[in-house]
Amino acid sequence: MRDGGVSVGVGAAGHLAVSGATKRFGAALVLDDLSIAVAKGEFVSLLGPSGCGKTTLLRCVAGLLRPDAGRILVGGADITTLPAHRRNVGVVFQNYALFPHLTVAENIGFGLRAQGVAKREAAPRIAEALRLVRMEAHADKAITALSGGQQQRVAVARALVVRPSLLLLDEPFSALDRKLRETMQVELKQLLREVGITAIFVTHDQEEALVVSDRIAVMNAGRIEQLADPAALYGRPSSLYVLDFVGQSTRLSGRVVETASNEIAIDTALGRIWAPGSFLRGSPVIVAVRPEAVTLGSAQDGAANHITARVAEISFLGSRTQLHLDLVEPDRGVVELPRLPDGIAPGASVPLSFRVADAMVFPAP
Amino acid sequence: MSATALTAPPRRPDGLTLLVLPALAFLGVVFLLPLLLLLWSSIRGPGGFSLNGYARVLGDAYYLQVMLQSLQLGLITTGGALLLGYPAAFALARARGYAQVVLFALIFLPLTVSIIVKSFGWGIVLRRDGILNWAMENLGLIERPVRMIFTEGALYAGMINVFLPFMVLPIFSVVRMMDTRLPDAAATLGASPWFRFTRVTLPLSLPGVVAGVSITFSLAVSAYVTPSLLMGDRFMTMSMVMAKAFLNLRDWQLGAAMATVLLAVAITVVVGAAWLQKRLATPRGS
Ligand SMILES: Nc1ncnc2c1ncn2[C@@H]1O[C@H](COP(=O)(O)OP(=O)(O)OP(=O)(O)O)[C@@H](O)[C@H]1O
Ligand SMILES: [Mg+2]
Repeated sequence: MRDGGVSVGVGAAGHLAVSGATKRFGAALVLDDLSIAVAKGEFVSLLGPSGCGKTTLLRCVAGLLRPDAGRILVGGADITTLPAHRRNVGVVFQNYALFPHLTVAENIGFGLRAQGVAKREAAPRIAEALRLVRMEAHADKAITALSGGQQQRVAVARALVVRPSLLLLDEPFSALDRKLRETMQVELKQLLREVGITAIFVTHDQEEALVVSDRIAVMNAGRIEQLADPAALYGRPSSLYVLDFVGQSTRLSGRVVETASNEIAIDTALGRIWAPGSFLRGSPVIVAVRPEAVTLGSAQDGAANHITARVAEISFLGSRTQLHLDLVEPDRGVVELPRLPDGIAPGASVPLSFRVADAMVFPAP
Repeated sequence: MSATALTAPPRRPDGLTLLVLPALAFLGVVFLLPLLLLLWSSIRGPGGFSLNGYARVLGDAYYLQVMLQSLQLGLITTGGALLLGYPAAFALARARGYAQVVLFALIFLPLTVSIIVKSFGWGIVLRRDGILNWAMENLGLIERPVRMIFTEGALYAGMINVFLPFMVLPIFSVVRMMDTRLPDAAATLGASPWFRFTRVTLPLSLPGVVAGVSITFSLAVSAYVTPSLLMGDRFMTMSMVMAKAFLNLRDWQLGAAMATVLLAVAITVVVGAAWLQKRLATPRGS
């Protein structure tokens, strides 16, 4: 039913396969039997709140940290016990970790020198890397003389020039302002496609994850909650956690009162709602619907769910307008309209409708 | 650049200048004044101006020998302290919790123990019937007690003990601020541990090393108390000659000339270190 669910095709086609990775720091369980598989050439985002273990997972894959249990395979080879300098896994660190005592070109050439690549061969590769990130004009500059965006580019070039089998990026844009961030996101995506490298990209910004990645892995407390492409993750979240972490939604708690083939009816504070799914009659559930799936009025074709709700607040967002519904915690509601019709103000009751297929049901926590 | 120079207001003493004034005044009275008097003494013979003091210090084989000995003492002490202190500074910087407290105490507690107490302790350890001889004899390492006290080996050990903290502290303060992800980044680029150390860790720790070396060398080359207590007249340093000239021989010109030479050595080291520091602090590239 949910093809966007946790996919742990370990040992299968994955270029990178982490299976059962576990890591404790003292009493804290930071990676909890975590598994993930990433296909060759794929660009996967690791999305999760601060402290959920994203950096720890990257450090384990890079060889900077040894997991207490579990295996890590790249291209089918078990690298779990290989030291970092033998793994050929590139890393772009949070805040870049560029070498302050070296110039831009020396930073980029560092890996080639470390691997004993002859100067004759290294020079054109450094030049190529500089061109790739459009930093040719800054080759001999000191790192401290660069802007945040330029440092970020150098960090990417430094990691790519040694042709790693896998590139890990730990919040590469977190130090940049919003505008630059958006430019760099697109730029990085194009660059990585051009190079054709498999990449894992850490972020705690869901919009960033939606923009840049082929697939997104939502992490929660040391585990992967769901690994899916952006549309599936948004449209068919596998858990309440993912539902709340990615995007907004109207959430109503209720109880299953009727069951039909593949459909159930749920009684909520806003009335009866039909949704796809199979739950036992009487189960406490939460039914959710994304803001843009809801339309104003009751006349929508095929929209079998009709409710009436009071508007608590209206937020104008430019290209669209959000209505926040007046509901009692833990219920909450948000509806997004392309345009606000006349006569709707806070306090007004509005008729709303949405399709059965757009309703999502989760067992109540 | 030139635009700001044009619009910049005329220079006035700012807050920083005022803050440093008391210290400068203090140094002027307790340091600069005696220094000028010293320089003056070094060129004043019984019959007026004379360079006789310098002629004796720089021309006499005995005094040259003393100077060489002092330099040797300074170099060996500094080298030994660097060899022991460099890894210790890293251990200290990377240690956490209790381990750090204990390491700190081990390295810095000796500073708080008076040199007199320390040399008394060394005596107990190094004497012919001391602990070290006793232990080595019982372990069968030696057949009869070895003379250790009043040997150069004991002197160097004592000097390194006394001056080690002055080497560790500056290196520690630099290493503590070092981003540990830099060697990590080097590792992910394929750098072996040795390459990481020589190309990343070592260059970044150099400012601390330069500071530690210059402090330790300046202190060791002018050491007086430790060599006197551990060697007496058997090992004369420049400071000991100075003390003798001033206190026993009442030969002020000789003492002042020796002091000036020692000062020149120290200033060379300090200025050289400052220059190196500045070069190290300036990032490569434009
Ligand atoms: N070396 C360490 N020693 C002890 N605890 C650690 C260590 N490294 C990480 N932790 C702890 O592990 C947890 C996860 O850390 P991690 O850095 O992986 O989080 P993160 O998901 O990258 O968070 P952020 O988004 O803030 O970067 C945190 O609670 C952190 O305090
Ligand atoms: Mg992190």
